[in-house]
Formats: sequence, structure tokens, C-alpha cells
Amino acid sequence: MSLSQIGTDAAGVDATAVPVAPQPGMVGRSPGRLAWARLRANRTAMVSGWIMLFFIVLGLAAPLIELLYGISPFEQFQDKIANNSLPLGYFGGVSGEHWFGLEPQLGRDIFIRLVYGLRTSLFIATSAALLTTALGIVLGIVSGYLGGWIDGVISWVIDFALALPFLIFALAIMPTVTARFYGPRDEIPVPFRIGVMIFLFALFGWTGTARLVRGQVISLREREFVEAARASGAGLFHILFRQLLPNLWAPILVSFSLAVPGYITGEAALSFLGIGVVDPTPDFGVMINKSLSYAQTDPAYLIFPGVVIFLLVLAFNLFGDGLRDALDPKSSR
Amino acid sequence: MRSRAILAAGGVLALTVALGACSENKNTDSDVDTDRVASGAIATDPKDSMGPAKAVEGAAKGGTFTVIRQTKISHMDPQRVYSFVGLNTAPLYARFLTTWKDDGKGNVTLVGDLAETPGVNVNKDCKVWEFKIKDGVKFEDGSAITSKEVAYGIARSFDPDLAGGPTYIQEWLANDAAFDTKWDFKANKTSLPPGLTTPDAKTLRFEFAKPHCDLPFAASLPATAPLPPAKDTGVELDNKPFSSGPYKLVKNTVGVEMLFERNEHWDANTDPVRNAYPDKFVYKFGPNAEAQTNRLIADGAEDQATLGWNGVDSSLVAKVAGDAGLMGRTLREPTPSAWRLSINTQRVPDLSVRQALNYAIDRSGMVKAAGGDLKVAPLTTLMPPSTLGFKKFDAYPADIEKAKSTLAGKTPELVLVIGDDSGAQELGTQVKNDLEKAGFKITIKVIPADSKLDETKKKDNPWDLYLDSWAADWPSGAALLPVLFDGRTIKAEGNSNTSYINNDAINAEFDRVLALDPAAQAPEWAKLDERIMKELAPAVPLYADVMFVMHGSKVGGVYIDSIFGYPAFTRAFVKQ
Amino acid sequence: MLRFLIKRLLLGTLTMFAVSLVAFGMFFMLPRDAVATMCVKNCNPERLERVRVELGLKDPLIDQYTGYMKGIFVGRDLGSAQGGFCDAPCLGYSYTSSEEVSDIFARVLPVTLSIVIPASVLWLGLGIGLGMISALRRGTVFDRLAIGFSLTGASMQLYFVGGMLMIIFVYTLKILPVPHYTSLWDDPLDWASGLVLAWVALAFLFSAVYARLSRAQMLETLAEDFVRTARAKGLSKSRAYGRHALRAAITPIVTIAGLDIGGALGGTVITETTFGIQGLGRTAVEAVRLGDLPTIMATVLISAVFIVVANIVVDLLYAVIDPRVRLS
Repeated sequence: MSLSQIGTDAAGVDATAVPVAPQPGMVGRSPGRLAWARLRANRTAMVSGWIMLFFIVLGLAAPLIELLYGISPFEQFQDKIANNSLPLGYFGGVSGEHWFGLEPQLGRDIFIRLVYGLRTSLFIATSAALLTTALGIVLGIVSGYLGGWIDGVISWVIDFALALPFLIFALAIMPTVTARFYGPRDEIPVPFRIGVMIFLFALFGWTGTARLVRGQVISLREREFVEAARASGAGLFHILFRQLLPNLWAPILVSFSLAVPGYITGEAALSFLGIGVVDPTPDFGVMINKSLSYAQTDPAYLIFPGVVIFLLVLAFNLFGDGLRDALDPKSSR
Repeated sequence: MRSRAILAAGGVLALTVALGACSENKNTDSDVDTDRVASGAIATDPKDSMGPAKAVEGAAKGGTFTVIRQTKISHMDPQRVYSFVGLNTAPLYARFLTTWKDDGKGNVTLVGDLAETPGVNVNKDCKVWEFKIKDGVKFEDGSAITSKEVAYGIARSFDPDLAGGPTYIQEWLANDAAFDTKWDFKANKTSLPPGLTTPDAKTLRFEFAKPHCDLPFAASLPATAPLPPAKDTGVELDNKPFSSGPYKLVKNTVGVEMLFERNEHWDANTDPVRNAYPDKFVYKFGPNAEAQTNRLIADGAEDQATLGWNGVDSSLVAKVAGDAGLMGRTLREPTPSAWRLSINTQRVPDLSVRQALNYAIDRSGMVKAAGGDLKVAPLTTLMPPSTLGFKKFDAYPADIEKAKSTLAGKTPELVLVIGDDSGAQELGTQVKNDLEKAGFKITIKVIPADSKLDETKKKDNPWDLYLDSWAADWPSGAALLPVLFDGRTIKAEGNSNTSYINNDAINAEFDRVLALDPAAQAPEWAKLDERIMKELAPAVPLYADVMFVMHGSKVGGVYIDSIFGYPAFTRAFVKQ
Repeated sequence: MLRFLIKRLLLGTLTMFAVSLVAFGMFFMLPRDAVATMCVKNCNPERLERVRVELGLKDPLIDQYTGYMKGIFVGRDLGSAQGGFCDAPCLGYSYTSSEEVSDIFARVLPVTLSIVIPASVLWLGLGIGLGMISALRRGTVFDRLAIGFSLTGASMQLYFVGGMLMIIFVYTLKILPVPHYTSLWDDPLDWASGLVLAWVALAFLFSAVYARLSRAQMLETLAEDFVRTARAKGLSKSRAYGRHALRAAITPIVTIAGLDIGGALGGTVITETTFGIQGLGRTAVEAVRLGDLPTIMATVLISAVFIVVANIVVDLLYAVIDPRVRLS
């Protein structure tokens, strides 16, 4: 849906509260260490963190798992598909050989496709989140600190980007760009399609972080430590990225960790509309989209990808939430 | 604590499992009669063309019949109707020169609709045809329908603003594919196109430069519906057609709902095919096939007299097929929509490669990939079984080893273009995997589904293989083979001959068969079909669509028409 | 105040102008041929070419753009194939559905509004309510459950939730009709029962953001001096929290709400697809797929107007809600 919520979500974090000055008499622990200790103490965050890590490792090790499992994500087992196009046997064709059963129609193995789908989804979401966060930070800091006409222009561009309906543009950009770069007989390579998706997310998604960062910078720029840096003749780059940025890490981290699940959902939504990754590339969005209509006749097909994507997104969200609590003790319980 | 959230979510998913029946899925064969053979005749006795239509057993008058469909009907103006849903909806509000008496099982008879007989071949050379309009046929305002209004209807189909409909009659009259430049409708609104005359109020006369024995068939398309010139609202007629049939469109919320009510001036005694039992017909647009099927399975009060136009969704086929009660509320018949893997012969000139492609495709896998045997039926001929005179043959029985040996060590690299809709992508994957097993190297090129059709119809398109379908406008080989494989019609764009095959011997054969009497043509087309496959192999026949539609418990009389293979409503009724 | 409003309106107009330029340029490059798509069988190149000329697709790009924009303000003649003169505000004539685009909008806009407005009331109410209560009862079971509930919502996919809701309430329990749209003025009960699943699904997904945001804001505000002062002055708990704290906490919520509602109006594609309702979103997607330029332009412009207006309204609301904000 609208991407505007991604990133702005973390606005609740008060960055000014983050550089907790060590109280006299306390052991000198850095704010980072304090936050880490708080995170360690949060059981939910730790569990979700481990689940997150598990999924990431699973995605990274996909080719290794394929080797061990012995089935490729593109192999068809149509002799195990009935005439009515559903897998033979119980619960969507689950067996010792096919742990999560087979896809209806084409008869490909669901487990190995899920593992590869995880890889695609995580890659797209993480890259998009990194890119939008980086763009948002730079533009937000510049806009917030310099003010004046530069701020005016950047703010207007933000308003402008927000005014463009994301899905309609995504729908138009994908075919236009692919037609520009590839001849009519060339297959569009999967990495290119993925690249365009990341680019699309970056183009429309940076505004949230930029607004957040800009707001924080405005409240920080008149603080003493900035004044001091300015007075001591520090350069603009130094003030922006050495003085201001370190004080913004908390909201940025939170906004980043919440942006990742946002983009996993966003990627699935694009594929739901047929814009994103296409068959035969394994992908969550495509899988969920197709399996949804089989909810009544082949529920197993829906449940395996459904549970995995839900757990993945939930783990990211819970971890992001825990991170926010750890970095911002004021709002933690 | 928050693990409760996960538990709750798990509960939701557990519910999903419980909802889906967890039973073993076994292999069973569908009961679709895929090999039924069509039979057809042209009525010679004028009595066959008179009404009233034969009563349907158990039918009663009254009630509201509802049709639900995903998207709106592209055109309602009879002169512009050409979509299947349009073709089968038009008989509700329009009458044509001729029409089909159809038992829904492939046995059809062409009869006169507005005309007393399905046309008189005046000089027996198919160049001059006469139709006599029946007495007592009327428009929705009570005015009489004469040959003048029928002629005006045909004349306005020359208007380029009113594009979209069939162009057979216009091209035959003008003796030119660019008929609208030959005769300008807008400049000559009070006259008639060349060759079309109305000697009196009852008679309509066609004079062609070349023989066109198929005219009685072409006249069964809605483009021959009548219209009084005073009621011609131009492009606006699309949203509010002027009725000559048993119903009139009284309310049209474009894209949402259409309401038809009885046309009191329609006389059942003049109509050989329409029973017009329900008092009202309602078309509702929006829900997709899946939602339609779910609604009809539930059979709620609002849906009991409803038919889902888009058919049983492939994801729900197993559910419906596994329940005898639900199966009793379905119709399943093979249709004339024949799918083939077209081979661009300009790019693949080597016959042995084309034959290897034919050997390599495994149709049983294709059927599974296309949604199962209740959705499609395998096909090895260019003409589907619904064609008159159909004869089954398989020139290239599926055999990977045979495909390999035919290729003789070659590894042709071919590009298969498919649309970006999800169904097509699965088929593309299936075709690619089949062909690669035989040694081909296949690149799949995905292009927007809506433009795929236009792009492959361009003569110089850059692709080698594409999935194509064709449904003939009448069940004769004449409406299929020459249209798809006569190389002399190839133009820069808008081609139906997407194999771009051009063979002089076959072209000459087309001319020979086309000049035969329609009844004598049927077996000749079947022979020619086999010859084209054996000598040219311009395509790989894949499967014919099976129409598998569902309706509510109070629907009766609906059948799958033998011409287009879609639900037809002329005999529909609402059980009281 | 007035100066601020004028400045914002001018900037908004500039944004709209830029959006129209980008949209036109973007969709002109779309590798689609609407004319060929319109032609089913039997098209010949000459006829296709003539239709292209008639639709003005052969004119220079600038002329096409100015022609379209002129139509919006003063109307224009579209030619006999497209229903003749089209009065201002003329959004053009759809290539694919043979009617004026403004007629399409008159039909689909109420549908989208009927989905988004009640849904946003629901998600704002639910989200802010949950957030406020969990802030006031911080650390309790309720607090944790509320946050867990909202996180679950945020982790779900709309089409998944929507599909499940339909299977449960429509096809299995049969207590709700199949989602559909009836005009509110024709039959309010049918209007509500036809759309309630869409509202619930949207609210479930969207309320999470608001619950978390309002909880955090509320916690922060509760710790501020002025709330403590109010309590110390002897103001009742409900007055101090309700009047003072809520007011201060709501400002950032309004910002996001404005964006979300504006964005949702232009982005209900997935909701509409899931529930099979034909509104602005699906119309837009179909138009892009078919290369129906006039309809694409109109949908982009209209959804942009929503967002721009929502932004201005949000800025004005700021001033009303939070006296600390001065408009300049």
C-alpha cells in the first residue's frame, strides 16, 4: 500500500534522549553498551532476533540446502500430480521426499522453492531498506541542518514524491524500463528485475526516513555540541556526519529494522499485482498470491509459505520494537 | 508475553487447515465428453425458422436470472459485439438475420431469425443472396422491423467509429479488406453500401463480386441486427442499445450492473430459438472466477438463480468435482477455443525442427499445468472436435526420443513469448521444460499480456514460439484453416496467420474447398487439417478449453452453446 | 494564517503541475499500443493507423499534453468517435471503455471513498484507543496484548487477511454477503454489510502503526511537566490526560494519518482486488495494463490531489491542535 508509513513509524523515538550522559558514580558504560544490555534482557526481542538470524542463514545457504536436499527449485514432479492438477496423496503431497509437498499444476517442490524465495525476498527487502535509509539520512540531514532554500526544495521534492501514487507508477515503470534495456528477444535477467524493484522502492521510500531525520536534526542543530563544533571551525561535512549523525543512529536503526518487513510485504504486494518477480523464479509474493486461491482445495500450499512469511515479518517487527525499547529507555516499559 | 501474539496467529492458520478438507487426493478422470463430434445442417424448410421455440421441460415463466462476470462486456452495440459474452448476450436484446438451433451437445441447425429462411442462394453461385424478413417482428417501441432497418444496421457497421465487430459482410460487399475507405458511411447515411439493396420492405439482397457460400453463417453474428436510423445514437448506442429481441436494456450502470426487462413487443411466434422464460435478466460485474465459484458453492439466497460466467476457478475445481451435489449444478462441455503453440515459420523454416517441437510436447503434463482435465482437453488436430466434419488424428504422437532423433543432433535456440498473467507463466514454464528435455534451448520472454496478442500479430515480430488460441465464428473449417494458414492474407500487422505460413499448394487447396457447397466442405476440411499438420507442421496443437461453469440451485435450461462454447441463455429459466 | 494558506496552495499547484508532467511523460513511454489492444480480430494496418491519428496519438507530445490539460480547464472537442465535445473539466475519453473518463470517476470514486473513509475512522479509533490505553496502563497484561495484537496485524498481508475473512464470514458461516458496493444513499445497511470486511481488514493492518505511535507519544507526554502541573493543580485524571496530554500527543499522529488516508485513496488496488470491488485502484491498474492514457492521467492526478490536499489539511490541523505551532 502506501509506503509513507515505512520509516515514519519510528518517529516516536526521541533522539534527543539517546545520548544518555553517564551519571556520576556509575560505571562508565557507553550508551551503546547500555542499549545492548537492555536488548539482551528483552526475551521477546532475543527470540525474534534468533528467528530472524535463522531465516537469514537459511536464505544465504540456499544452494547448500539444495545440494543436501537433492531437489532443484525448478524440477517438476508431474507424475505426482493428479489429473485435477492437485498433488496426489495427503496434505498437498507431503512426503519424506517432499517435506512441504508439491505445487499444484506444475508439481515443483515447495520446500526448496520456499528456501530460495526467502533468499529473494530478504535480498530485495534488505537492499531496499539500506538504500532508502541512506538516501533518507543524507537528504534529511542536509535539509534539516542547512534550512533555507535547500530545505524548501528538498521538502517540496518530498511532498512531490509522496503525491505520486506508488503502485500505479510501479506498474508503468517496470515494463518501460525493461523495454528500454533489453531487446525483444532477450530474456529479462532475474537480477535486473530485482534491481528495478529495489530502485522503485528507493525512489518512493526515502521520504519517510528523510522527514524523520530532518525533524530530529532541526531539534539538534541549535544544541551546544553543534555550536561548539561550528565555533571551532569544523567543516560542514564534519558537522553533518561526525557530529549530528552519531546522535541519530537510534531512530535510524529502528526505522531501518521496521522498514525491512515493510519491504518484504511491499515486494509481495508488487508480485501480487504481477509487477515484481515472475515465475519460474521462486518468490514469496508469487507463491502466496497463487496459493491463496487454493485455501480450500490444497490448504497445505497456502500454509507453508503463509506461515513462513508471517513468522519472518513478525520476527523483524518484534525485533525492531525491542530495539526501539532498548535504544530509548523512556518509552520502554 | 508476546509469544501470545504468535499463538493467536497460529490459531488463525490452524483454522485455515481445518477449513480445507484434509483427504487424500486420488487420480480420477473427468466425465467431459471430449471426443463428441458435431453435426450441422442448414434448415431448408421455412417451418424450422418459425416460432415459438420448443418448450423446455420443467421450465416456468418468471423470476430474475442473474449472470455474474468479472469484467464488463466490451461492447453492447450489436454492430460492435464480438466478445463471447457479447455474442451470447446479444440474443436477449437483438435479433439477427439467421441464428443457430442448438442442442448444446454439438448438433446445430442454422435457421432464419428475422429472415424467413437462412438465405436463398439465388443463382446457386453464392454471389447473390436474398433474405425475406418475417411478418410481425417488432422493435421495443412497437414499430415494425423491415429489410430497411436490417440494411441500415449493416451499413452502420462500415463506420470506423463503430469498430470492434466482425467484418466479414463488409469486406465481402466492398470486395476489399479496407472496406471503410471503399464506402464512407458518414457521407452516405441515407444510401446503402455497394451490393446491398432492399427491393421492398420484406426483401434484403446481397450481391458479391466473389462467391461467399458462408454468408448464412456470417449472418448469424449480431452485426446483422436491425436499427431504425432515427434511433442511431452513434457511439452512445453501446451503452443503450435499441432492442429487437425479447428483452430491453432498461438500466445500465457501466461496469457494475445491467438490468434487462421484457420487451412487450417481441412475439414468441416469430422466434424459433428464444424461450424468454425469466421476467428479468441481470448482469453483475466485478467478482473474479474464484469469488464467483465460492458464491455459487455457498448457494446463498441471492445467488440461487445465478450463473458464474467466468467458470469454476481452477483452484476450486477439485472441491467442486469431489462433491456430487455441486457437480449437479455445473455444465461441462468441450469448447471450440483451440490452443496451439504457434511456430513462426519465418524464423523456423526447417520442417524437421517444427516436427521435433510437435513430438516433444507432452500433452498430459500440459493439461495438468493448465488446471486439470475439467478445464482443458488435449488436442492433436488444428480443428477442435466441435468443427463440422472433424476427424481425430495425431500426426506426431508425443515421444521425446523421436523428437531427439528428428532434431538429429541440432540444438535450436528458440524464444518463447508469453504474457505476464499468472496462468500463461505456468504454461510457459511447462513448454520450456518439455522442449529442453528434447534438446531445444528455450528462452522465455515475458511481455505484458494485453499487448502480447497484438505484438505476435505483427508480421516481423522477433519471436519463434507463442501460445495462441482461436475460436471460429461458426463451426466450419472455413472459419478456421484459411483464416489461420492462408499465406496470401499476410499483412504488416493484425495477422491471424501468426505462423506466417505461406504454401502455394495449400493455398490452392483452400480456394478449391471454399468454392464447394457448404455441406460438401466439412470432410474436406478435416483432410486438409491432417495434410497441413503432416506437410507443414506450422503449430503444435495443445488443447481445447473445456467450459466448466457453475450455477445456483434454481437455474434451469442453460446450455453451453456449440458454436462458441459459452453459456447460452435462450432457454434459461428460474426454477419456481 | 492566510499567507501560509496561499503559500501552501501555490506549492500544491506546483506539485500538481509536476505530477501531471511526470505522469504524462512516464505513460507516454509505456510500451503499450492501446489502439491495437482495442482491435480484436480482423484489424488491418491502415485502419489502426487512422484510429491512431484520430485519437491524436500522432501529434507532437507537447500538443497532446497541452490538449489534455486544456480539456481539464475549458473542455475540448474529442471527435465523433469519442462522443463529440467534452465539457470542462474534461478528463478525456477512455480508449477502452467508450465513455468519458469523468463518467468513470463519478462511478468509482464513491466506491473508494466508501472503503477508505470508514476504514480510516476505524483504524484511527482502534489504533489510538489501544495506544492510549496501553500507555496509561503501561506494563499490564492489556498493554502487552494490545501491542501483540497490533504487531500481528502489521505482520499480515492484506490479501491473506482479506481472503481468510471472506472464507470464514462469507463462504463458511454465511453471516455476511459477498463484498460489494451499494450506494450509501440507496441502502445504508447494504452499503455497510457489503464493505465491512474491507474496513475490518484495513483497520487490522493499519491500526498497528497508530497504536505504537500513540502509545510512545502518550508515554512521553505524560512525563512532561505541564501534565504533571495540571495534575498537581488538582485537575481530574481524565481531564488532565484527556484534554492536555492527548492534545499534545496527537500532533505527529495527524501527520501520518493525513499521509496514510491520502495514500490509501490512491492505493486501494490491493483491497479492491482482494474483495472484488471495482473502485479507483482497480480502474487505474486496468488502465495502465491497457495503455488507456486518459484514464491513467486522470487517476494519477486525482490521487495526487488527495495527497496534496491531505498535506495542507494536516498542516492547518497542526495549528488548531497544537498552539505551539505557529504557521509561517
